[in-house]
Amino acid sequence: MIKYYTKMENKIEIKLENVHKSYYLANGEEVSVLNGVNLEIKQGEFVAIMGESGGGKTTLLNILGCLHPLSKGKYYLTGENIGNVRDDFTLAFIRNKKMGFIFQQFNLFSRLTALKNVALPALYAGKEKQDREEKAKKLLKTIGLGDRLYHRPTELSGGQQQRVAVCRALINDPGIILADEPTGALDSKSGLEVMNIFTGFKKQGRTVIMVTHTAEVAKYADRIIYLRDGKVISQDYQLHSNY
Amino acid sequence: MFIEIIKMAIESLLAKKTRSVLSMLGIIIGVSTVIAVFAIGQGAQQAVNEQFEGLSAKTIMVMGMRGKGSVSSSKLTVEDAKIIQEKGQYIELATGAIQGNASISYGATSASLSIIGSDLDYYTISNLELGSGRLITEDELANKDKVAILGSGAATTLFLDGENPLGATITISGKKLEVVGVFKEVGTSMGPMRVDDSIFMPYTTAQKTILGSDGSVVLNIQANSVDNVELATEELTSILREEHKLKDSQEDDFRVMDAGSMVGAAQESAQLMSILLTLIAAITLLVSGIGIMNVMFVTVAERTKEIGIAKAIGGKQGDILSQFLLESVILSTVGGVIGIIIGQVAIPIISSFNLMTLASSVTGPLLGFSFSVLVGVFFGFYPALKASRLDPVDALRSE
Repeated sequence: MIKYYTKMENKIEIKLENVHKSYYLANGEEVSVLNGVNLEIKQGEFVAIMGESGGGKTTLLNILGCLHPLSKGKYYLTGENIGNVRDDFTLAFIRNKKMGFIFQQFNLFSRLTALKNVALPALYAGKEKQDREEKAKKLLKTIGLGDRLYHRPTELSGGQQQRVAVCRALINDPGIILADEPTGALDSKSGLEVMNIFTGFKKQGRTVIMVTHTAEVAKYADRIIYLRDGKVISQDYQLHSNY
Repeated sequence: MFIEIIKMAIESLLAKKTRSVLSMLGIIIGVSTVIAVFAIGQGAQQAVNEQFEGLSAKTIMVMGMRGKGSVSSSKLTVEDAKIIQEKGQYIELATGAIQGNASISYGATSASLSIIGSDLDYYTISNLELGSGRLITEDELANKDKVAILGSGAATTLFLDGENPLGATITISGKKLEVVGVFKEVGTSMGPMRVDDSIFMPYTTAQKTILGSDGSVVLNIQANSVDNVELATEELTSILREEHKLKDSQEDDFRVMDAGSMVGAAQESAQLMSILLTLIAAITLLVSGIGIMNVMFVTVAERTKEIGIAKAIGGKQGDILSQFLLESVILSTVGGVIGIIIGQVAIPIISSFNLMTLASSVTGPLLGFSFSVLVGVFFGFYPALKASRLDPVDALRSE
């Protein structure tokens, strides 16, 4: 069952303090991607991350999604600094239970049916087969894919695949949704549908962090964070926002 | 959860059927080889044991040697047994027999069977017991009477069910002999001869009328204790040399073998053969394991993106490790089971060619199966570990 979070606008869900991220190339050269990012995101906020390519958008999202360790700085998730956690079990637990990832290219398992794809994170969470498939069915029905449960990704349209991916992100009822260009591979109609789902998350009290380079998509967000050269250069709330 | 991971592993193996089957092939061949080889080894040992079952550790056999060096023909005779018995200090019992093959007929039935012409102690030493009729007497032995006792197998070959062989006249190499007794089944062999399929008669009769110079003389001697086998062997050798009037420069015109060393040597060679063959099979399995490892590495490389996705949605290293490990274990286990089936089917087929004795055993399949599972775990572990440790972002980026 989708949980409806109570609105607590003042509670800070995510806080980054002076976060740095750099890579080492094969020749030993250091490439700095994030250079001291400071950021606060409140619970239930819908945030869009924008900026030029190479500005560090995806790297920031990957750090928020615990897919990347940070090189320096602090990452508070609901008040707890997880910036120096390297233990796979804990990180996998956070990715599994606290967050839901949505990708541009959907990233569904081609061998699995829509139902199995949606249920997979619940399998990793150790849920019983009946529980997880029941919940997956319910989610898919809510999102209008009740007649596509046993279709494989190749038998679905792009919009349908992204909706399956949305259900997968929701199966463990996470508080945070992370999306990397979720409409990037969709036609405008499907993109609109996905954005409607995203604004719905807000009503459910979920925090949404979305990387995009399209202003049209970004306007659905409460706030747009611009990154340039690995730094936040602006993060103003939009007019329609109630923050 | 575990069942679901097994299902997913099977699904991904089925998605690449040709590759799965090819990588299983090595395991199949390996395991069926292990089983066949084990059966051959066991069979060889069993054959050795059967062949020497009738011998006790005290038994010493003496056989004639023909046409070797200066000795044109062995002077070994059945009577030599009596002399050894009389003179030997370490000898408990010495019997002799002349053996050969002859065609035997009774009524419309005819067969080629072994002939054993022996002295009277031979029946005791060979554990032969009468089923019906009587034994051959001293008088019959002395008079070279044409009487015979049938082994149980020989009796069933020549006579119909319910027919009484006692008193019947059988024809052996054109000579008529009267059946006076039938032995109970013993199941043992004396060298290549199956005792049950033999026909027994006084050695005098066999020598004079049936086999003549075609028969080969075998002395069956029991030492008075297992510890004295060596002394008894030396003793009987010198008695025989003296009796055959051999000069010091002349070689023995007979061969002496004691049961202990005969059985030991035969068993040892059978064992060695089975060890060598098993080793070859093990190498086959090892090579097939490397094949599986290769396939698993390719699979991991191909599915790098999937691994990234799995990690992004909360898959733990353990989940990914177990899925890939299960894939290789399933490959090798299924291969192992098919190998066992092929091996077990092959055993009776190979046996039917009568080239060698095969004995199916539980150990062979068990060994082959556990080896194949082990190969799957061992060679699947490294690729699976590598998969589970991939960086999620790098993995997601790969295509």
